[in-house]
Amino acid sequence: MSAPDREAYAARQAQLLDALLRGGEPPAGFDAAQAGAAGSSLRRKRARAVAQAWPALALELGDAFGACFDAYARAVDAPPYGAPREDGLAFARSLRHVTPLGDDARAELLLARAELRRRGVFAGAAWLRRPRRRLLVVVRLPGLGAVHRSVPRRHPRRD
Amino acid sequence: MPTTPVTWRLGQGAGWRPQLDGALARAGGLGFIEVIAEAIGAHHVPAGVAAAIERGLQVLPHGVSLSLGGAERPDPARLAHLASLAERVNAPLVSEHIAFVRADGRESGHLLPVPRTREALDILSENVAIAQAALPVPLALEHVAALVEWPGAEMDEATFVAELVERTGALLLLDLSNLYANAHNHGYDALESLARFPLDRIAYVHVGGGRLRDGVYHDTHADPVVPGVLALVEELFSLADAPGVLLERDDDFPPEAELVAELRAIADAVRRGREQRVRA
Repeated sequence: MSAPDREAYAARQAQLLDALLRGGEPPAGFDAAQAGAAGSSLRRKRARAVAQAWPALALELGDAFGACFDAYARAVDAPPYGAPREDGLAFARSLRHVTPLGDDARAELLLARAELRRRGVFAGAAWLRRPRRRLLVVVRLPGLGAVHRSVPRRHPRRD
Repeated sequence: MPTTPVTWRLGQGAGWRPQLDGALARAGGLGFIEVIAEAIGAHHVPAGVAAAIERGLQVLPHGVSLSLGGAERPDPARLAHLASLAERVNAPLVSEHIAFVRADGRESGHLLPVPRTREALDILSENVAIAQAALPVPLALEHVAALVEWPGAEMDEATFVAELVERTGALLLLDLSNLYANAHNHGYDALESLARFPLDRIAYVHVGGGRLRDGVYHDTHADPVVPGVLALVEELFSLADAPGVLLERDDDFPPEAELVAELRAIADAVRRGREQRVRA
């Protein structure tokens, strides 16, 4: 028995995988409807994991979550297996130029940015409006992890 | 290839997930649980799994990332993790899939099918042999649910799996929901196919829930087990015995009573099948 041609096999698998991940035309000989279903299934599975790891973002996008995530997933590969927090961070960032995020999703994004920073210092802040106006400040220091504080806006003076 | 005789008894099992920990600890009659190898850290066993071992349950590690059907040889670090986990939980065997999950440095995020060709069998057999050499216990191989099929298949799935098991001496992890899904989606008879799988090599059986979406059956593990799959459980046990049957539920976790009822429905199907075999 001659050694199997792993290189040719690798190339065929890479072609199929690319079509499934990007939602593009499958390689010759594949059924386009089957490949479409398989690709959607991969992106839906990925979307589900991200929605669970990013509840505020998922709640805020509601019914639009699926379509927004699908567009992102076709363009951006998932991080290595099982990293829905990181995947969701990249997704949330991709939305900044698409749709403004509400308070809860922006707070979730800020906290995730601090938590997922692997090294060095992180400092960030976001103005939140509800339930009361306040500034959410998040700081991450090496060895200490992330800490966050809400600073209430000074009550407007009433005459 | 020398084969490991199937001598163990597992009974009824369930996939252990953190969300099911309480329900599975209270469910009576379980003989084993399965843990996703990649979900467990190095040098660690989750408390719920350790407690199950204390209660006398067997624990079977189930890998999802070796990519045995991929063009690359299996990664020694992933194999070492699976081997170490098998030793930590004192597992009688471990399992993986006849699938690829990465190519050209990109991850699919899920199990993808391999072409059913002689060439793929050659590569799979080499990869399986590498894995077997690195593992302290027997390896069982699971065929996957495939929404997309490769063109140019040289044999059907039952023949392909039988050939792989024969060549490698590996055991079979028979997934009746995957069989149901593929038969439904690719238009063949599940019962006829079932009889041609290497039933004497079954390590244990998987059963999971799914749903139809636009005429396509999706093996979601997030829905109830459909009647057609329970019928396959009964049919299998009318043809042959198997050491254990395990329910996989990975998402949209049901109320505890529903989970218990589903376990009971599976046990009933096993019993009905066995009764038919004894009578025959």
